[in-house]
Amino acid sequence: MNYLNCSIEQLATQIKEIQDKSTPPQEVSRAIIGRCTGVQKEFNVFISLGEDIISSELERLFRDRLPENGRLKLAGAIGVLGDNIATSRYLTTCASRMLQSYRPPFDAGVVARLEDSGAVIAGKTNMDEFGVGCSGENSYFNSIKNPWNKKHTAGSGAAAAVLAGSAHFALASDARGELRQAASYCGVIALKPTYGRISRKGLLDYASSLETIGIAARHIADLAAVLGAVAGEDPDDVTTLQSAAPDYLSLLRENGGVRQVAVPANWQDAPYLEEEMKDLFQEQLKKLEALGVKIHFVELPHLQYASLAAAIISAVEAFSNLSNYDGVRFGYRGEGKHLQDMYAQTRSEGFSSRLKKFLTFGALVSTANYYQDYFLRAQKLRTVIAGELEACLQEFDLLLTPTTPFQAPELGAAEGGSGRSREELLDPAGYYTAAANLAGLPALTFPLQAAGLPYGLQLLSKKEDELTLLKAGLLLEKENPLAWPDLAL
Amino acid sequence: MLPEFETVIGLEVHVELLTDTKLFCGCSTAFGAEPNSQVCPLCLGLPGGTLPKLNEKALEFTIKTAMALNCRVAEEITFDRKNYYYADLPKGYQISQYFYPTGRDGYVEIHVDGQTKRIGIHQIHLEEDTGKLLHVGSIISSPFSRVDFNRAGVPLIEIVTEPDIRSAEEARLFLQKLRSILQYIAVSDCKMEEGSMRCDANISIRPVGSREFGTKTELKNMNSFRAVYRGIEYEVERQRSVVLEGGKVIPETRHWDEEEGVTKAMRSKFVSADYRCFPDPNIPPFKPSPEWLEKIRSSIPELPDARYARFINEYGLPPYDAEILTASRELADFYDAVLAGYNAPKAVSNWIMSELLRLLNSTNTGIEDCKIKPEDLGKLLQMIDNGTISGKIAKGVFEEMFATGEKPEKIIEKKGLTQISDEDELSRIVDAVIAGNPGSVEDYRKGKDRALGFLVGQVMKETKGKANPQLVNKLLKEKLG
Repeated sequence: MNYLNCSIEQLATQIKEIQDKSTPPQEVSRAIIGRCTGVQKEFNVFISLGEDIISSELERLFRDRLPENGRLKLAGAIGVLGDNIATSRYLTTCASRMLQSYRPPFDAGVVARLEDSGAVIAGKTNMDEFGVGCSGENSYFNSIKNPWNKKHTAGSGAAAAVLAGSAHFALASDARGELRQAASYCGVIALKPTYGRISRKGLLDYASSLETIGIAARHIADLAAVLGAVAGEDPDDVTTLQSAAPDYLSLLRENGGVRQVAVPANWQDAPYLEEEMKDLFQEQLKKLEALGVKIHFVELPHLQYASLAAAIISAVEAFSNLSNYDGVRFGYRGEGKHLQDMYAQTRSEGFSSRLKKFLTFGALVSTANYYQDYFLRAQKLRTVIAGELEACLQEFDLLLTPTTPFQAPELGAAEGGSGRSREELLDPAGYYTAAANLAGLPALTFPLQAAGLPYGLQLLSKKEDELTLLKAGLLLEKENPLAWPDLAL
Repeated sequence: MLPEFETVIGLEVHVELLTDTKLFCGCSTAFGAEPNSQVCPLCLGLPGGTLPKLNEKALEFTIKTAMALNCRVAEEITFDRKNYYYADLPKGYQISQYFYPTGRDGYVEIHVDGQTKRIGIHQIHLEEDTGKLLHVGSIISSPFSRVDFNRAGVPLIEIVTEPDIRSAEEARLFLQKLRSILQYIAVSDCKMEEGSMRCDANISIRPVGSREFGTKTELKNMNSFRAVYRGIEYEVERQRSVVLEGGKVIPETRHWDEEEGVTKAMRSKFVSADYRCFPDPNIPPFKPSPEWLEKIRSSIPELPDARYARFINEYGLPPYDAEILTASRELADFYDAVLAGYNAPKAVSNWIMSELLRLLNSTNTGIEDCKIKPEDLGKLLQMIDNGTISGKIAKGVFEEMFATGEKPEKIIEKKGLTQISDEDELSRIVDAVIAGNPGSVEDYRKGKDRALGFLVGQVMKETKGKANPQLVNKLLKEKLG
């Protein structure tokens, strides 16, 4: 059965075949569960896998919903969610001991939209605790492994699940570029939309002003379909955009789009930028030029500080956002002699040491002593960077950079303290990605296949213009045949 | 010679707003519900449930308060997070307006010893209330504590004064005026006993003439106007004793103990807490439109000071009457309404201040629940004027009106209380009384004026008080020669 390997667009044909042959839906469910279980065993991408939910939802879909409504946007599509997106039918752990048995009494805004569109949520994916960082190793539920090479990190379970064919798409958070980095490590497509394009209702975010829910998929058209299903204003999230989201899928193949493309003049200054990445990037620029696209090298002098500014702002917000984990009302509770002691024990035992280091940093730079020099300065940098990017994107259709300077690091590199370790504070993997979060701009990563592990090409466009990114992605898709690992599960 | 000291007081007043729902979610704000029955993921701080939605009514009330207290209103409304840990604070931070309060630089006027004094308002800001901790016995001995989150997220405004207050009496007058204004604009019921108005006082003393401030203590737990007065009086006296004995006032938070009538140190050391405030990323800045602001401004009724001045200038009332009548909007409305039908300002004021307030107090009734309609009080007073009833009878009728809400003419008719002013009828009764009391008649004729009073009394007794007293006097004098 080709159910999971095909695109969402091709799924209609698959479904028709299943209906014509009167294949029982249980057979489809069994295949999906089998695939997911196999992938889980090898790469540890899931925290929760909904075997019963997959079966019952697919059965309901084939029995009631498909015959009645043949125009569901995501009919039968299998999706997975990062485990910091609230679901009332699954635990929502944020990969933390603190929430290892937390089941929210509500669903995130995206959950209802996905279900209304006919998608089936198959499970919750593994991640770095509370979405902080992109090592894929800082999970209470153990490291995530890269399906291309198990010795390397996958960055996140969401990207790995999509790569390994256990879902058509994944939704996961992106605060400084985590989802795009993971997609780059895994070689799948991912989009971080404009801030406010997708509701954050029910997202257990760590950096509210930077973080959005993003989408990972294997095909541009799938990404467009999922974005069309989940985007739009949400009265429960007053930070969502008020403008209506276009019908991305139907506009995707219309003419027009990419003519003028900007590249930061100093794009090669990133620490740990690998030679192979440089070559692949230049190769892509040439391909685009051959298609008649004009490349402009532009000065964006503050871009290099983006990841540092984002680290400071996100740490302060995280320290505050995660203050509700005190053991009083939910989650893990440590034993204490009195209230303060209980707080200390709860947070000491419930959070990992890496997360605590990050939160401590946030607590420190928001004290009166450091507020001016760190937090306020980071906020000013944010304004400057956003201004530079917006000016650039007024003039050009897109801004191109690598997604990460390097390919997926080896597992354990972070602990070993090697140069480009996934330090949460000085975040070399976020060198290119954090700027889009600071400015609230949409950004897409497109996979570049290499001999070993893949790399990623990052595209930024102006606010609310996800369509240009998708069109450019479609162009890249035609020029760069995608490849998937041959998994023996 | 002992140095003279001046007291310097600044108040921080928290007032719960009269909105139906909480500041950032749709939960009810009703007082006294079953613990933890008015909560949702947001006000419980549940993971993933904390995206706030600003209650526009609460902001409107805050802006209205800022305007009524003569403040500048911020052009942009923003909210910040005040981060600290406590069991009654579900999110681990309180959403408040730290950087840009809604109102700044206002004032309230109080009347002290016949003078008008301005108390500066430093700022007014909107924030969410915390939950409530319930201890078994005292906080120290309680083996565990329970938390009720019904109050968590209820909209509060904090009003911070400048250090302009110079005595416990001024503090009390300020609070009473503030309460009066807030009740006039209907943003809070300001019940100190229920905690919908709470007050902390920053108190210091300094030698008279000094321009520097002395070391201040922060006084908490004063749950009535009387407690504010007593607490401040005690604390000022305590600080004086400390200084006079050569000691130094320690900067600390002190607790007013109502039963013992003393202030007690709460924390041994005054740790200036660092709340790590920063803008709340989940609440976009909001610019109130000029139209909306104008609408709010035009909804503010005549405030106590303006009304006080009008009652003096237009009605010629003494300041004392004007102060009492304008302290509550409902009472002042009642007064104005009586005058609309019966234009005798001082007579009406007398009736309200003596009879009406006495009955309201003795039955513990608020003016808003008073059964007497203003026009009926006017009618009653008119009937005294035109001789239908005597003033004494009127008091009885008034009590009946207060108890039942019936119209005065109904009560008078029902009970046959109309005054007897018919000269022939009275003449007959007077004759009978003269005939029946020869002793008193004799006394009167011998020059004992008091005897006349007795004879008038007898006539009144015969008529059950309904006789027109002036007429009775006249007839008696005529008949006795």
